[in-house]
Amino acid sequence: MSEKPSSKALSKKITEEYMDEAFRAHELGKLVGYTTAISPVELFVAHDIVPIYPENHAVANLTAKKGAEICSITENLGYSSHLCAYARTDLGYRESGKTITKGIPEPDIFLACNAQCFTLTKWFQVLARRGDLPVFVFDTPEHVMNAAARKEIVKYCVLQLKELIAWLEGITKKKFNYDRLQEVMMYSAQSSILYKKFLDMAQYKPSPISIFDALIGMAIAVYRRGTPECVEYYQTLCDEIDEKVQKGIGVVQDEKYRLYWENLPVWFKFSDHAKLLASYGAVILTSLYVHAWSLDFDLNKDPLETLAENYVNRFSNSTIEDRADMAVDLFKRYDMNGMIMFMNRSCKAVSFAVPTLKDILTKRTGIPALVFESDMGDQRFYSETQIRTRIEAYFETLDSLQRSKSA
Amino acid sequence: MWENLSLTEVTELAKDPYPSIRKWKKETGKTIVGSTIADVPEEVIYAFGFLPVALLGTNKPLKKAPSLLPDNACSLARSNLELALSYEGDLFDGFVLPQVCDTTQHLSDIWRINFPNTYVESFLAPRQVDRESARYWVKEETERLIASLSARFNKKITDEDLKRSIVLHNENKALIKEIYEVKRKYPVSITNKEFFSLIKLSMQVDKAEFNQTLKKIRDSLEKKEGEGYTEIILTGITCDPPEIFDLFDEIKLNVVADALVTGSRYLQGVVPEGNPLDALAERHFKRGFYSPIHDNVYKGFKELKALFDQYKPKAIVYIHIEFCESEEYDMPDLKSMIKKEGIPMHILSTEFQTLSLSHVRTRLQAFFESLKGGTL
Ligand code: SF4
Ligand code: SF4
Repeated sequence: MSEKPSSKALSKKITEEYMDEAFRAHELGKLVGYTTAISPVELFVAHDIVPIYPENHAVANLTAKKGAEICSITENLGYSSHLCAYARTDLGYRESGKTITKGIPEPDIFLACNAQCFTLTKWFQVLARRGDLPVFVFDTPEHVMNAAARKEIVKYCVLQLKELIAWLEGITKKKFNYDRLQEVMMYSAQSSILYKKFLDMAQYKPSPISIFDALIGMAIAVYRRGTPECVEYYQTLCDEIDEKVQKGIGVVQDEKYRLYWENLPVWFKFSDHAKLLASYGAVILTSLYVHAWSLDFDLNKDPLETLAENYVNRFSNSTIEDRADMAVDLFKRYDMNGMIMFMNRSCKAVSFAVPTLKDILTKRTGIPALVFESDMGDQRFYSETQIRTRIEAYFETLDSLQRSKSA
Repeated sequence: MWENLSLTEVTELAKDPYPSIRKWKKETGKTIVGSTIADVPEEVIYAFGFLPVALLGTNKPLKKAPSLLPDNACSLARSNLELALSYEGDLFDGFVLPQVCDTTQHLSDIWRINFPNTYVESFLAPRQVDRESARYWVKEETERLIASLSARFNKKITDEDLKRSIVLHNENKALIKEIYEVKRKYPVSITNKEFFSLIKLSMQVDKAEFNQTLKKIRDSLEKKEGEGYTEIILTGITCDPPEIFDLFDEIKLNVVADALVTGSRYLQGVVPEGNPLDALAERHFKRGFYSPIHDNVYKGFKELKALFDQYKPKAIVYIHIEFCESEEYDMPDLKSMIKKEGIPMHILSTEFQTLSLSHVRTRLQAFFESLKGGTL
């Protein structure tokens, strides 16, 4: 009997098969649909549209420190350097072909979901104009804090999902199969539960995972939701981490600081940050961002309704007050004692909430925050010395706070 | 208070309408409701007997906004927040804030959190306009707004109240359109600054009163031909600070058509006849789209091209608000589409607090000189 593959091997295999299918989509009689990382992709999967996330492709290039180079190609086309680095990387790639991967297949259609940001809608429109391709905007009004309004919002979104299905049927000339959707939803629901379980393992002390593991581990949830292999992957991942928990293995063995991270990561500093923090006995455990794919589908409901409810209430589409509640819940459950609030120039959709969120969180938890401004992918906005000094100073504050507490 | 104003007074008030709104509030005891610009149905607020006031930023210094919204947020959002937090917040009994982009979505949250004791409601306008669901949603949101205002201010409105309000607002737009007709032909009769001040002030003061002013102004316009004017089309969201219009006037540009949210898009918002709620929803889809939000550049381009063919001006001036992301995604393609048509376009980037007018003047002059010299 062959040994069970590791999560790493599984992830590699799933990704390769996925990209292979995507590049051969037309041969296989399928369309390539670009979509936002947060979007009801279950409808694509059920209708045999291969979902492609240009954000993921951008992340690969930004992590490889290609941000400044590719972004400046886009800026030379007349685009502002204030736009999201994902979009700038993607537009630069299209102009120059520059990428550290094999690239991504060209799109046939677009699905932009505003629950993530409005930027993607605008970015997809730019891409669509290049080939006069159809774009469907799934418009998700903010999940305001009013029960009656929420009901109406879900109704509006269900109406739109019906329009989306009709739109897909029109383009593919193929009837939508609701039984298939049920099946896809089942996989999505199962993998989401496992994904959340994986993230929640950070509750253990010492934590067997850091946010950097979560960021690597989230990829499959982002691009393979709704498939059996996605379920298998998270089952394997959970089993592996469980083993670590049993053995008491932590990312940082003598954990002093268990930190919350706000925003997307600084992709090109990813591993450096992990090392630097570990040297202070600190580990970043989680963020609302990685929890964006902890979906919670109710399979007893009309699938369109539970889809609408779930995508509308993502953190990125929630009010700042609700975001604070979600974060406070994580602080309590993970027993965190520090927070890094990253103001990411690229992502206005997440960052404009950060100053207010920081105030609420420090007030509610009594924990001081480290705030820093930079960019998730464009190195031109990153200052190493500034960040190192800030981090040092922050841990000094936390240290003296701990000293005074124990005194 | 606003029924018998001269053009000079209108221009002065448009620059800073708040002292007079304060005075009016004191005299009438009425409720004042502020909104940032983008599709909040002012007719609904007015039907309650309240005064809807469009917030159009401030050029006074930023003090509190920068710590809440970073410097890469659009300057309209930052300056509106500042206006409310540092300068005029106490004037308002409530705010209805539309959400059209990522910035406005956060802006309404930040606003609500900073005004814990004031009524702050969001108006969730759809960001897609081509499908049936959008129509459904506009009506739904309008009904929700009515219910929300009713609950908060303990007041009910009837269809008749709404209809009366609509008639008044429609009349306002019709009057300004008449003045626009004259302005197009006789630029000497009214300057760009005066004309756009009429629109701005219409968005901020009581129409029942202001329509009287408009009628008088309309009747008193001197229809004199001017010489040496260059006709242009203006596009963008708003054109601020108002001194930009002074520059236009100075170098004798005549705005003959526009696609501004604080311009023709407002004037296009005439509500059709019929059941008021349906009619208000219908209106949302009848007017030009909110510059970069609804649909994409094609629509904006078509609109500008149609205006260009109709009015045959010499150039298009695009007023870009720094750092409006949505505009920034559209701009390169819009630019090249317009260029392909052989239409000269000048892009003017504006910021509320820091715009250097002398810089704008130099660039504008250079553009129009080369236009005249045929080097564009
Ligand atoms: S980083 Fe932010 S702005 Fe960019 S695509 Fe993602 S959510 Fe949108
Ligand atoms: S100017 Fe642009 S970024 Fe600013 S609120 Fe309007 S649409 Fe949003």
